[in-house]
Parts: sequence; structure tokens; C-alpha cells
Amino acid sequence: MAKIKKKGASGGAVKYITRTRAIRKLQVTLADFRRICILKGIYPVEPKSRKKAGKGSSAAHTTFYYTKDIKFLAHEPLIEKFRENKIFLRKIQKAIGRQEWNEAKRIEKNRPIYTLDHLVRERYPTFNDALRDIDDAISMLLLFSMMPSTKQISNQVTEECRRLSGEFLHYVMRTNSLRKVFLSIKGIYYQAEIHGQSITWITPYQFAQTAPTDVDFRVMRTFLEFYRTLMGFVNFRLFSEINLAYPPKIDETMDSNGAGLSALRIEQPKADDLIAKEEGDRSEGSAKKRKPKGDQQKQIQRMSDIQAKIGDIVGEDQDPSSAEATAEDTKDDVSANTNSRLVFSNQTIYLSREVPRESLIFVINGLGGKVGWDKSVAAGSPYDENDERITVQISDRPVQGHQFLNRVYVQPQWVYDSVNAGRLLNAENYAIGAKLPPHLSPFVEYKDGDYVPEAAHNFLAAEGFEGEVTNLKPEDREDYSDDDQSDNSGNDGESEIEGESEVDEEDVDEDLYQNELEAESAGMSYSEYQKSAGSKNTATKRKASKVPVKDGDEDSELKQMAVSMMSKKQRRLYDNMKRANTQKAEEAQTLRQRKANLKSMKSKPPPAHKMKGKKK
Amino acid sequence: MPTDSESESDDGLDEEEIDEHDSDFDTLLQAVAHDQGLGSGDDSDDGYIEGDSVDEDEEDEESTNIDSETESGYLTKHSFKDDMDAWKNERKELANIDPVYDSDSSTEETTNTIGNVPIEWYADYPHIGYDIDGKKVLKPMTKDQLDTFLSNADDPDAFRTVRDELNQTDVRLTDKEVDLIKRIQSGQIPDAEYDPYEPTVEWFTSQKMITPLTGAPEPKSRFIPSKWEHKMVMKLVRAFRKNKSTQKPRPEAPKYYDIWAENEDQEQSDVRSRLPAPKMKLPDHSESYNPPGEYLLTAEEEKEWLETDPDERKRNFLPKAYNSLRLVPGYDRFVQERFQRLLDLYVAPRKEIKKNDIDIESLIPKLPDPRDLQPYPTQQSQLYAGHTGRVRSISVDPSGLWLLSGSDDKTVRLWEIVTGRCAQIWKFDDVVQKVAWNPDKDLCLFGVAAGDNAYIAIPDGLCDQTRLTVTEEFVKAGFGNSKDAEQTASVSWNKPTSAQQEAGIELVLQLGGTVKDLSWHKKGNYFSTMHSQTGNTAVIIHQISKHQSQIPFRKLKGLVQRTMFHPTKPWFIVVTQRYVRIYNLMQQELVKSLDPSAKWISSIDVHPQGDNVIVGTYDKKLAWFDLDLSTKPYKTIRYHTQAIRQVHFSRKYPLFASCSDDGTIQVFHGMVYQDLLHNPLVVPLKILRGHETVGPLGILDCTFHPTQPWLFSSGADQTIRLWT
Repeated sequence: MAKIKKKGASGGAVKYITRTRAIRKLQVTLADFRRICILKGIYPVEPKSRKKAGKGSSAAHTTFYYTKDIKFLAHEPLIEKFRENKIFLRKIQKAIGRQEWNEAKRIEKNRPIYTLDHLVRERYPTFNDALRDIDDAISMLLLFSMMPSTKQISNQVTEECRRLSGEFLHYVMRTNSLRKVFLSIKGIYYQAEIHGQSITWITPYQFAQTAPTDVDFRVMRTFLEFYRTLMGFVNFRLFSEINLAYPPKIDETMDSNGAGLSALRIEQPKADDLIAKEEGDRSEGSAKKRKPKGDQQKQIQRMSDIQAKIGDIVGEDQDPSSAEATAEDTKDDVSANTNSRLVFSNQTIYLSREVPRESLIFVINGLGGKVGWDKSVAAGSPYDENDERITVQISDRPVQGHQFLNRVYVQPQWVYDSVNAGRLLNAENYAIGAKLPPHLSPFVEYKDGDYVPEAAHNFLAAEGFEGEVTNLKPEDREDYSDDDQSDNSGNDGESEIEGESEVDEEDVDEDLYQNELEAESAGMSYSEYQKSAGSKNTATKRKASKVPVKDGDEDSELKQMAVSMMSKKQRRLYDNMKRANTQKAEEAQTLRQRKANLKSMKSKPPPAHKMKGKKK
Repeated sequence: MPTDSESESDDGLDEEEIDEHDSDFDTLLQAVAHDQGLGSGDDSDDGYIEGDSVDEDEEDEESTNIDSETESGYLTKHSFKDDMDAWKNERKELANIDPVYDSDSSTEETTNTIGNVPIEWYADYPHIGYDIDGKKVLKPMTKDQLDTFLSNADDPDAFRTVRDELNQTDVRLTDKEVDLIKRIQSGQIPDAEYDPYEPTVEWFTSQKMITPLTGAPEPKSRFIPSKWEHKMVMKLVRAFRKNKSTQKPRPEAPKYYDIWAENEDQEQSDVRSRLPAPKMKLPDHSESYNPPGEYLLTAEEEKEWLETDPDERKRNFLPKAYNSLRLVPGYDRFVQERFQRLLDLYVAPRKEIKKNDIDIESLIPKLPDPRDLQPYPTQQSQLYAGHTGRVRSISVDPSGLWLLSGSDDKTVRLWEIVTGRCAQIWKFDDVVQKVAWNPDKDLCLFGVAAGDNAYIAIPDGLCDQTRLTVTEEFVKAGFGNSKDAEQTASVSWNKPTSAQQEAGIELVLQLGGTVKDLSWHKKGNYFSTMHSQTGNTAVIIHQISKHQSQIPFRKLKGLVQRTMFHPTKPWFIVVTQRYVRIYNLMQQELVKSLDPSAKWISSIDVHPQGDNVIVGTYDKKLAWFDLDLSTKPYKTIRYHTQAIRQVHFSRKYPLFASCSDDGTIQVFHGMVYQDLLHNPLVVPLKILRGHETVGPLGILDCTFHPTQPWLFSSGADQTIRLWT
């Protein structure tokens, strides 16, 4: 006889564990449990059956984790570190409470430290795994690099975020891996392609961020802690792949003058350093990092000498005769396949002071252009406003005082739209003071039945992707001036067929019978025959029935009958999908309707009071 | 210390004891001594305080006195009583015995036992509290201020008198106490007798002894400097020499290295299955700072957006258009949205949902094209109008030329099928529930169920003379033997009245209740009726040739809905509310009980070949049973939106139809194969619309033509329609 199974000893009952039980098992506080889960990337799961997982209770709010995950957490050395930290805090509070300052200082010096290196290795076994997951990391770092230093966020953290995100952006810039940019009302979205992975991040506009009160900064700090470690390692790897020394040095004078990205001093690792790296000697690497300050100063000095010789840092990237010829070679290797996308390769672009400088430098430099900017905004501009080499000036003012004849004046959207289009767009549409064409999201992929805005057509057509454009049903070909017609667009097919049915049936009739007979003798089924016979047949069929039935009706009836033959499970799936599709279609229809309204308003401007409701 | 009353009672008792037992002399003596000590306190109120201040010499005297007594007692036991008397006479007041260890103030007698309660609370009462027995302690006379002043001035002891608030008495301090207070005030040791400079008592000798207590030599370790101390010192020394901090260096910044360098190629398999978090949703056009105009919301939509709960909004932002980039403000919910994303990453339960990226049309089953399954009725070709009530029942005659209909207007009409002409009308006294042609082609008669009666009638001029005579003979043959045949009590076979006979009615069967259903056996000799009466008499089978009726069931379970004879086998089918029961009439046993798992069955029909049954239900379902397979439905189809009223198989074509209260008839192709390996093929063919629904009722009956692929239907809209 088989062994009797005990209830609750296998299956869902042991596969999942509730949060409370997990905490009790790990013997940590809830706060520590949260931290460890964030750091280790352990997430709750939805059990297949709540009742089984909850041992009979099917409470909706219970959080379940995989028991295996929790067992895995139990081995985590970090938990011990958390306990040490707790003890440390207790000790130091005690010392402070007793006003034993020396003792407190001594304890403070022995503050327990921990690193998250092993977690990075564990969560991302390969580099590509890490790249897949850095979207949120970069977004967070970029956000926190703009946060004011408060009680919750220390200045050091902000600085580190700024450094790490800057390094990453520098890599993207240098390898020309930026693909898409989108100016949203929330911030600027960028998408880069690194190692075949699309990495999308968002950065807020350059305004002072405020720390809101309805946000738990402990959670954000914990995430940030992990993301900083992760991005450090990712940056190291990225930099070493293009043969650059990591960490890059920051030119302090430039940095203090608000140079931002261009304050990074990139250098080739020295030969001995390379050898050391090949040996995989970590301590060597760290020793290099902890160079005496004087040495570092010297380095910067030497670097700036080189800089002076070359001319400017921005030009350096494109200058093949620079001292960093080897770097250029590797860089070319990396970006060989992307050269065609270097939209701004022959452009020298000057930024007026009212445009978002950081973002534009990143985008333009990242796609092969040279940038200069106003001295009053930040130091280190390689071009003066009067420079003859400037071909484009980006300005966001309604009028430009003095205009140089040999350069084009455009609004910043031109840069971003050009990136998304993959080529330089016509600057006339983006001229200063002109009404800008709509800025579309480059992330939208159109499917059949989706609404494709007019601007996207122009865009795609201009891009030269004829194939795609023909696939898409052009919305703007329809005449929207006639509202009635657009309302009945669903019935278009029907009306066509009705028109067909008016074909003179008498002539057709005799041939038809003959054809039918032939087909029957050939062993063709009636439906096949009808298909082959084509539209003629539909006419005869209709003739046979005295009451004319619309074809669309018949089809829908057939469909309705077929649906009635489905099993319950399948029908539910079908109904759900149908509902989703209808919703989507409705949304598209709303957009079409709005577009039509806009067009009709434009063609015959209605009285002013009507306008008021529409215009926002 | 015991109170006064207690000590008094003790006194008396002890005296008795002394009188009776003089054995335990020692104890007795002690007790006496004790009592006397206490007794001295009794005499005066201030005894306690006076007792304290008894002179030393008095005490001595007392002790010697007792000693002498005891000695004498031991010596001369016989004269004890005399001695005792003497002693009693001579006895003098003795001082209080100092009860040594518990002589602190807490054991002082307190007359007032109110504890910590402020004495002011008793200000308005005549008493100041309660003694230990719970009796009120009355307030002593209080002096007025003048008296107090005078007494203070007169009394030389005024300076040492303090007020005991609790007992409302003045307490005069003793000399000792005054002295104590003075010493404390002057910062001296309170106890006058304490000598701080007592001579040293050497408990252990301070002299060195000549020989040590143990002979063990001093261990070597006492003479060598510590190795660990040396190491620590040397560490410091070295640090000093190198001018270096002795503190452990602490890493300032995280060290980064190529963490994926080692086993990059080696695929590390994570045992735990991981569900990677979904990526951020990418923005669409509406999030643009300058979107196309159609993506902006109208004023109403914007209002609606603002009014909806933030959690229920489809978008978490309001689309807005700015003319230029410099006008775009900072997004105030940026941090919150990042935070929300983080929350999603670590608190949202993850679940793998298979995204079915399939074409919705592919889900619809591929059915054979209905055009290949022709012929079947597709449109209405004849309308039979004339009834003025709901047409409840229709029946086509076996030759296929005539149609009978029974209606709520209490008439039965005969229609010519092709022309739609009403050939004959029969009027009845009650609503006609059912009409049914006799299926035998040689006979020309039909049955009508109306009211409590079932009628057998022969229509006029439909058939030739020979058939007519055969039919008449067949119907009337039973009158002869009806008398001697055993009759069922509830059924009477009556001859029609003259008026009825005129109309062609040949037989009238009077049954117990309203006849609801009437159905013929295929041979035409038997028919069954079902009436509304409950119990076993609801279903009765009648034989025309013998004018006999019999009740086939001794007991009937459930509410009977329909009855019918099986077309090929000697089976009788009874449809109750939930189940279909099939009985073998020959063997008189239950063959099968079909369960369509419906709430209420409305109708049933059996396939002409006899192996398949369809059941229509009021809960909109149609169930197809294969009698060879199971008692559960082979297929349950639900397509009508209202209750199904009738289902019917075509006798000649592989067709069946169902009609419903939603005003539609659905025609199916229902092919049954002889080959047992093939499952029946059920294909929906056509939905016929045309009948109007009247109130909750739609189409009440439908039936196929016996030879053509035609369908008749009758409805609550008082019409009968032919579909071809």
C-alpha cells in the first residue's frame, strides 16, 4: 500500500511561506526583512491556489514568498551584518547617553561595514543579466543626483550618484549607443543599445527636486545602495571594454563651474595597469585608485596639458591624430556598425543658454556632433558664439537678436526628432518662433487597427520606410471633413456590397447554372465552388432568397453560431480577448474622432464660444 | 505589639492557667514577666514613653528580683503558692521591656488607622479616623489660638512639644529625642553612643609569621613580561617609527573590479526559478510635451480625469501641450512615480501570465460551411394567420399536406400547407394544449388535448372514402368491448355529443385533470396523455382499438413535463423537471435515466433512428444525448438568450431545430453515423428570425415537415410560419 500522504506536508502548503512566518523564521525585524529582500531581489509571489498556500485560509491580503527563497535568505551573511549594525547602534547610543565621548568615537570608528559585491555577482551571473536590469538603476541614480541633500540623503550619496550616472552617460556618448530620445512631460526618456540590450531610462528636467513626504526614503535608500554598487561594477566593465581607466577622474575646476558631463577626464590605463588587470589582481586595481593625492593632481595636470594640445575635449573624440589613437581604434570597433546612425557627424552645434544643455550635449556628442555652449552657463565650451565653424545654433527664444547668416537657427526639438528619425530633419519646420510639429514617442509600435497619427506618417514616409507605411492604414487619406462618413466607417464594407448587388443579375443567371453543374461533377463542394466563382455567386445566392440578406449579417450570424459551439473555457477566453480588442478599437476611434473634430474646426473656424471648450 | 484590650484579656487567661497547671514553670514565669511589663503600660496613657525612659538601675533591680524568685522557686516548690501571693502583693511597676529589633517607629501604637489619607478630609466630621477595631476615634478638644499661645507661654516644655496631626495630639519629645535632633542639626553622628574612634581589633594578626603557609615557589610567569603586551607595544612602536596611524585602515569608497571576469562563459544555473520584473512601460504619444492635438483631452474628459480616484485612472498624468521646450515645468510626481516603481519591484507579487498572442479568430472552431449541408430552411415562405390567441401546438399530417394548430383562442384549425388556406375550424370549450396527428398513414385522425378532455377527431374531406371508413371502424371498434374491458377509474371513454359528432369528433376521453400533453405511438393504436394531476395517474396510456386506458406507473417521481413513445423500441419516455427517464414497457423496467444537469426541462425529441435524444431546457440550454454512451450529455450548447420551448428532429433530413422565447429558431445539422466510431456531428446552420415576442413568450412550437426540409413554427404572436 502506498504511504498515506499527510496534509500540509507537500505541494502548495510547503512551497509558499507567508511574510510573517518568513520573518519569524529568519529572526529579523520587518524593516530588516524588507532591506534584505530588496538587496537580494527576493519578491513575493502569487500562489497558484491561495487556499492551499495559506493552509486553508484564502485571505486576499496575505503576502507569500517561495519557501526556497526564504531558505536561501537564511544563509545570507548580510543578516549577520544587520545584527552587528543593530548592536553597534545600541552601543553608540549608550555611549552618547553616558556622555562618554571618547568611547563613542572609538565605537564609531569600528562601525561595521558591509559590501554588496557578492549580491551583484549572485543576482546577475553574467554581465548581460546585469545590463538587462539597469533601467531602474540609472533612472534612480539620475534622480538622486538631482536631489537636494537632506537628512535622508547625504551629500556623499548624491555626489556618488552623480558620478556613477555621469560615467554611464559618458560611456553611452562615447560608444554612440544612444538610439531614441523622447521629451515627455515627466522628463526625458533615453534609450540606448548596449550589447544588444535596449536600456531605457528617464531623467527629470533640470529643476531642483524636492524630497516629498509621502515617500518612504528608507526603501529608496536601500534600492539606491544596491544600484550604486551595481552601476559601479557595470561602469567598470563597460569602461574596461572600451579600454578606458576606471574610475575616470573628475576635473574639479570644471565640475565646480557646472561643466557636468564634460568634467570627466577619461584616460587610457597605463601599460602596467593593464598587465595588472589581466592578472586579475584586485588589490592592484584598488591601490591604483588610492593613489596619493599629489600623484592625482599631477595626473590631472598632465591631462590638461594634453587637452591644451588637442584643443578641446569634445573634438578629442573625433580627432584621429590625438594621443589616444588606440582608444579611437577600439571605439571605432565598438561603433563600427552604428556609424550610419551618427546623425550629427558633420555638425558643430552651439547651444544658447536657455536650452537644456546637459541633455543636448549628451545627445549631440553621443551621435557624432560637436557642441559649444554659452560661457555664462558652464565653463569649458570649446566654441565661442562667434566661432565660424558653428553650423547650427539651438535656441529656444521667440526671437533671436543677432543672427549669423552661415548657421541655421533651430529649436531644441529638432535635435531630438532628428535622433529618432535617424537623419537630420528639415530645419525649416523647427525654425525659431515657428509652430513646432508634434513630438511623437519613438517607443510606440503600431499594430493593425492602431491609430497612427498624421505626424507619424510624415515621419515614417520621410524616413524612407515605404514598406511599413503601406502596411499601416493611413488615417489621413480619409476625408474627415465629412463627419457622417467617418461615423459610419465600420459599415463601409457593407455599403460596397450593397452596391454590388445592384449588378444586373439576369445576364449572369444562365451561365451560373452551367458552372454549378460543372463544379458538382468535378466533386467540388458548394462552398469551394462559391469561393472560386467569386463575387458573381454572392449575387445569385441573394437572388435565390427572396428576402435579401446582407452578407455582413450572414457572416456575423455564422460567427455567432460558431461561438455558441465553443466550450465554456474557450468562450471565456474569446470574450475577454474580444473585450480587450473592442476597448482598443474604441480608443483608436476616440482619437480618430478628435482628429476629425480638430480638422473640421480648422477648415471652417467655428464661432469663438465653441472654440473655448476645445482649446486647452 | 498587642493593643490594650488584647493584653487585658490575656492577663485574665494567664492567671487561670497559673492556677490550674503549675508544671511548666519556666514558661509561666516568662509569661508573667511579660504580662507585667505590658501591664505597666496599661495603667497610664503615657506608659510607653515613660517606659522608654526608665532608668538603668531600675532595670537592674528588676532583673535581680526575678532571679531571686526563680532561685527560691526551684529550691522550695511546695511554698510556691505562698511565694506567688507574696510576690503578687509586693510587685511593683516594671519598666517596658525593650523589644529590641522591632523597636522602630513603625511599630509604635497608632490609634488612628486611616493611613496616608490627609487629615483635612476629616475636618468636617466629629471623628478623626478609626482605630484598629474600626471604631471612630473622636476628635480631641482643640484649643483656640489664644489658649495655645497661653499654654505655650506657660509651659516650659513648649519648645519640645510637637503636634501629631494624625492623632490630633501634642507630643512631648523626650530628652533623648531632643538630643538626637540637636545632634543631627549640628551635623554630628546622631547616635550619642556611637564611638567612631574605637580601638582597632585585630581579627587577623598583623605580625609576620616565620614560616609561610604554603611552600610553593613563585611561578615563573610572575617574573616574565607578557608576550601579548609586548606584541601590542611593539606594534605601537613600529607605528610610531613609521609615523603611521595605528588604527585599522578603513575603505573609503567601494572598490570596483571586473566582477564578471571569472566565469563569464560558464553558465551559472540558478536553481530557483526567477521571474524577472517587467520593464517600465514605455511612454506613448500622449506623454509628449508637444503631442498631436488629438491626444489632448477635452474639457469634459479632463474633468472626468480629475474626478476619478488616482488609483483608478487609466493614465497617471494629464496630457498637455507646450509651445516650446523651455515652457515645460518640472514634473511634481517624479519621485513618487519612481518610488511606486520600486514598490512594484519588491512588494508586488509576481505571477507568470502566459500572454496568448493568438489571433482571436483562431479561437472560433472551424465548422463545415453551412452551404455544404444544404438543404435546410433558410427563410420564411408562408404565413398562416387566423388564430386570435397564442398558437400553442402544431402538427403536420403524415402525408405532409395539412397542418393542424391548436391555440389559446380555444380553436383547432386545419391549414392547407401550400396555400395557407384555413380548411376547417374546431371550437372547444377550453384552451387547446396540444394537437397531434396520428402517425399511421392509413388512418386519418388526430388527437386534441383541451381542458380535461382528450378528443379524437376525423377531419372532413381530407382523405378518400376507403381510408375514412377504415378510420371510423378503427375508432368505433372499441365501443363494443369497452364495457367488459376493465376500465381505469379516472378515465371514461365517451361518445361525442351530436354537435361534436357533426364537427368530426369521434371520441371524447374524460381524464382527471387538465390534459397537457398527448403523443402517439408510431403505430397509431396507442397514445399517451399527461395531465396536470400529481401522482401516478398523471400519465395514462390509451389504446384506441379497445377503448382501454391503463396507468403504467405505480409511482411517479418528480413533476412530469412530457411523455413520448420511442420511435424504434418499445420504450416509453417520461420527462420530469430534472431528469429524462426511459422505461421499457415490455419488461416494465427503467432503462435509463438521463441527467442534462438543467434546472427545468421543457422539451424532448428522439432521433428517428432512436439512439440520440435532444433535450431543450428553460435555462436556455440544449443537451444532446447519445444513449449508447452515457447518461450525461454528449454536448451541451447554449446559444438562445431565452428559454427553449421546443426541440424537434426532422424525420427525413439530418436536421433539428430549437425554438425559444427570444423569438428565434435555430436550425442545426445533426448527423448521426451508423458507424459507432463516429461521434454525431452537430453544426449550427441558421438562425431564423421573424416571430415577434409577446411579453415573455416567443415561439411556442416548431416541427419539421415529414418529407421536406421545411420547418413550421408557431408563436405567441398568433401566427404560424413555414420556413423553407
